[in-house]
Amino acid sequence: MANEEHKYNKDRFEPIEISEEKGEELSRPQLSYLQDSWIRLKKNKGAIIGLLILLFIGFMAIFGPYMNNYTFKEQDSNITNVPPRVQGLENISWLGLDGKETEVLEGESVEALKEKALYVFETEPEFIESKVIQEATEDEMAKVEFTNDIYAARGIQDEYYWFGTDQLGRDLWTRTWSGTRISLYIAILAATIDMVIGVIYGGVSAYYGGRVDNYMQRIVEILVGIPNLVVVILMILVLEPGILSITIALTITGWIGMARVIRGNVLKLKNQEFVLASRTLGSSDSRILMKHLVPNVTGLIIINTMFTIPGAIFFEAFLSFIGLGLQPPLASLGTLIDDAFKSFQIYPYMLVFPSVIISLIMVAFNVLADGLRDALDPKMRE
Amino acid sequence: MAKYILQRIIYMFITLFIIATVSFFLMKLLPGSPFAMEGKLSEEQLELMKARYGLDQPIPVQYFNYITNVAQGDLGVSFQFDNREVSTLIMKKLGPSLQLGALALGFGMVVGMLLGIAAAIKHNTFIDYGSTFLAVIGKSIPSFVFAGMLQYYIAVKLGWLPAAFWEGPRYMILPTIALAMFPIATAARFMRTEMLEVLGSDFITTARAKGLNSVLVTFKHGLRNAVIPLITVVGPLAVALMTGNLVIENIFAIPGLGEQFVKSITTNDYPMIMGTTLFFSFLFIFIVLVVDILYGIIDPRIRLAGGKD
Amino acid sequence: MRNTKWSLLLVLGLVLTMFLAACSGGGSEDEGSGNEGDGENTEETDEGSEGEGDSGDDASGASNETLRLTEGSEIPSMDASKVQTSTGIQFVTAVQEGLYRLAPGGEIVDGVAKKSETEVSEDGLTWTFHLRDNATWANGDKVTAGDFVYAWQRAINPDTGSVYGPYLMKGNLKNATAIANGEMEPSELGVEAKDEQTLVVNLETPVPYFDSFAAFPTFYPLHKEFVEEQGENYALEADTILSNGPFKMESWDHGSSWKLVKNEDYWDASNVDLGAIDVRVVKERATSVNLYQTGKVDKAGLGGDFIDKYKTDSDYKELQETVLFYLKFNQDSATQGEKMQNESFRRAIAQGFNKEDYVNVVVGNSSIPANYFIPTGLDKHPETDEGFRDINGEMLKFDLEKAQEHWSKAKEELGFEEVELSFLSGDTESAKLTSEFFKNQLEKNLPGLTIKLKQVPFKERVRIENASEYELTFSGWGPDYADAMTFLDLWVTGGPNNDMGYSNEEYDKLINQARTDLATKPVERFEAMLEAEKVLLDDAAIAPVYQRVRSVLQKPYVKNMDQLNPFGNDYSYKFVEIEK
Repeated sequence: MANEEHKYNKDRFEPIEISEEKGEELSRPQLSYLQDSWIRLKKNKGAIIGLLILLFIGFMAIFGPYMNNYTFKEQDSNITNVPPRVQGLENISWLGLDGKETEVLEGESVEALKEKALYVFETEPEFIESKVIQEATEDEMAKVEFTNDIYAARGIQDEYYWFGTDQLGRDLWTRTWSGTRISLYIAILAATIDMVIGVIYGGVSAYYGGRVDNYMQRIVEILVGIPNLVVVILMILVLEPGILSITIALTITGWIGMARVIRGNVLKLKNQEFVLASRTLGSSDSRILMKHLVPNVTGLIIINTMFTIPGAIFFEAFLSFIGLGLQPPLASLGTLIDDAFKSFQIYPYMLVFPSVIISLIMVAFNVLADGLRDALDPKMRE
Repeated sequence: MAKYILQRIIYMFITLFIIATVSFFLMKLLPGSPFAMEGKLSEEQLELMKARYGLDQPIPVQYFNYITNVAQGDLGVSFQFDNREVSTLIMKKLGPSLQLGALALGFGMVVGMLLGIAAAIKHNTFIDYGSTFLAVIGKSIPSFVFAGMLQYYIAVKLGWLPAAFWEGPRYMILPTIALAMFPIATAARFMRTEMLEVLGSDFITTARAKGLNSVLVTFKHGLRNAVIPLITVVGPLAVALMTGNLVIENIFAIPGLGEQFVKSITTNDYPMIMGTTLFFSFLFIFIVLVVDILYGIIDPRIRLAGGKD
Repeated sequence: MRNTKWSLLLVLGLVLTMFLAACSGGGSEDEGSGNEGDGENTEETDEGSEGEGDSGDDASGASNETLRLTEGSEIPSMDASKVQTSTGIQFVTAVQEGLYRLAPGGEIVDGVAKKSETEVSEDGLTWTFHLRDNATWANGDKVTAGDFVYAWQRAINPDTGSVYGPYLMKGNLKNATAIANGEMEPSELGVEAKDEQTLVVNLETPVPYFDSFAAFPTFYPLHKEFVEEQGENYALEADTILSNGPFKMESWDHGSSWKLVKNEDYWDASNVDLGAIDVRVVKERATSVNLYQTGKVDKAGLGGDFIDKYKTDSDYKELQETVLFYLKFNQDSATQGEKMQNESFRRAIAQGFNKEDYVNVVVGNSSIPANYFIPTGLDKHPETDEGFRDINGEMLKFDLEKAQEHWSKAKEELGFEEVELSFLSGDTESAKLTSEFFKNQLEKNLPGLTIKLKQVPFKERVRIENASEYELTFSGWGPDYADAMTFLDLWVTGGPNNDMGYSNEEYDKLINQARTDLATKPVERFEAMLEAEKVLLDDAAIAPVYQRVRSVLQKPYVKNMDQLNPFGNDYSYKFVEIEK
């Protein structure tokens, strides 16, 4: 049976012309490493979406605060805790961007509830709408849903606070985007510290091993052991609060997690054949480290950076809280979330926007980084 | 191996000694005295109080006394807790912190690893993105936000579980979930990355070509491969989780170590600061040692004892 | 094969974890207590409650219900001589009893001594207390005058390390200062037991408010044998305390809870309604509110935005406190001292911020914007009973125009156009809002002024204040006894709490007179203090901001707990009732 199939008809074959030139011809366009990576990255939809989101957030961080007429520090005691309202979206009530507050009240009678609602919302009858859910019966209390138009009640019908306002009556849109700037700076800073100090420290420690590793790891243990809070409080005594202080505080211990992970994996890799081969060929230590070992741990570097960044953003919020970070009225995403958390039961919108932005940054960063890793990895080449 | 471990244990004491020394002198630079209500104490009284606790002596002398006592196993007495033994205080609060940390770690690792494996097997699909999304959210939103929301929505609004305290299994569910967000994220991400590495490697192709069940193969090999970075991270993470988390403990009214340590620093409770620092450092160093030893067991190619040559 | 082992190990680990958690879950942990109380810088105090109500029959008609509370901090010590945090004072007054005690609202009533029988000598220097003969310790021994002598000598003894002992006794009780400084033996203290039931107190100077002291824990009796037998452990555990008050400490799980039960041997036990008080330590305010909402506690303190949410709730209550918050102007400031010493400059700032707005925006409840220094409800005229506050009226009101006038005047007098002042505050939640509010108000209202916020941890703040390295700071003060003097003597020249460099001869003279010559003439003394407040605020030495009102949620069946005492313990649990 098989033999039958191996009988080829010679006519079906045609000898190709052998020429010197065509032998050198490439069937695919010639691409550099980066071009090739870029092509592969483009095919990864997730990565592209991530990239676009990051670009968008970066854009908003730069220009967002100038998109309305409010400033991040202007207070107004009349417009405290105003919920968000956005032009065009104010009639879609389920979005919660209509500047109204809704509450269901229970009581003896519908009339009594209407009285109570005025008191609860501290408002006038013309600004309040009621929807009776249930009339009072013998064994059931009356239930009425009231909707209060805060913007009208406060006499600011013409204003639009896209993200609402905070306890001091400051516009949260401008606060959030100017806070995003600071948090993006912190993110980049933390990532840089991680990649520079962390990767090199971990790599060197593992690669040289033995006594070097021993001492370098003991230093890490000492740094971890000394209580961070003590160091930070001492820094308050000598440093002016601000970006510089945050940077220094982050630099002290921010890279340790990365150094440990890199060390663990380089320990695993350094005795493998390709390293041995490279060494036999006479590569220098730094070349082996940077060209062979580090590229093999890119995935881990990405994950670890992703763990460092939110950690750093909230560390900054903590520093600001105890007085070493940003001084109010400046805000960052971290401090906004910290502040909003205390009142999330009452004013959830204050927590939602900064949380969504921080999550978006992180998700986008991750998807993009994963895509990049795949794209840069020669093994993934088709 | 035994020689190596012995050597590391000697190093451990040296490291602890250095930590104790540095922390001691740094701590003495903190502003204020350990006495509450300093405003109500007169100068003379403050001097008398200091003399009573030996705080009037030169700092090097205090340091020498402290180290001598620690070497004899005496961590001293706390200021803020009216002369109670530091070691008793730490041991008493360690319980809840340890339980909560262990639960969160266990729960987080299982869920996280499953998420990570699912993501890797279904690379670049919705499952992958969904898992990444979950993991990232778990890391980018701080755990106290989860804690607050769980408490408010599950305990208060729905009334399914107790809102706070630490009095039995039902009380442990919410804090565990809140604290587990971080280990879930950690495990999921490391697992996914390492699995992907494995899936692309030759031995998997070989194994599959030989007709082995692919899920089982990937699981076994992936797990093995992911273990190195995982234990590197999980070791210290375990220490961090089990030594207490200030915010989660406060939200769920759990009497744990985290809050106590922070308070000791803000009230200049010197013996308490030192005791807790030494205890935490000991745990950390110990775990690091265990991790280093595990490296060698998991992957015999790793040799820690020798140098690069 | 090896892989199977790993998964097995994982499963084992998990099971072990669950097991560990499940077994040990039942027990709660013991722990000492944190103290943070500081009379000087009162920040937020929150109060709450916890427990459960099981009722029992009682012949006296008492409900025997359990009051369930939460507290924001642990009790470091139940030792009456050493107790200094508000939580500690609260529960020492429940477990023990002094010569007098406080009834709800702060009225001083009979304790171990009968108030009506107390004799004060003509010169006001000798107080004689007569103890009741049916007051006993929980071990059956009688409470004697000797127990008071022992306790007071212990409190002033520098070896005890009490803060309140010296603070309240120095300059008041005979020889107290010398003993506190270690120059005299504690036995020389001006207190003696004439017989078992007569306690004679010798003062250095007349102390018209000594009955406040008689109700304060530092002046409570101690059972000498018991205290000495317990030694170092005295009052550190539930069973190392000997009660002579309406309640006994039944259990004390350090760091998480404690429980008091009714003391049936208490002389007035028939008038004690509560069967027990169950207290849980809850540090997060939101948590105690959530516990209240789930019916686990009978009371929860509210703050910030929670006030907005529950202001209209039927369980919502507001309790007037006697705590006053104000801005301190540091005239000793190294950099801006010259300006801070200028009256127009200070006046401009003191009148240049909207107190109503502050209360509405930052505090959120009906706390009173303060245009005064002596809080409402603290002191009253000795004869007419008219309140201190009603007589002296309001000063340093918010007045933008006047503030700007003063500001221009200050600029002229001092020759400056722009100035930067530091605003010192702590690192608490409300401190942040407060400092942001003041920065905005003052910069907006006083052109050329820049406020530099300095937000630091508590201890650092104390250091900076002591070292005078600030210009403005937001502070609070709560009274130690029911008399305007507890506020007024803060600012005498060189006073231990006067770290803002204020000095006015007339003020010093008035205070000194009130303490000495006029001490036995209540009306003149009161007038001198009225005058002193005027002098202080005319100088704009401080800028009053508000008098605090505490917001709580409280179950309607809890009675006699809707007033705060102006000093000492906030609530008087002896009189609290539960009517379900």
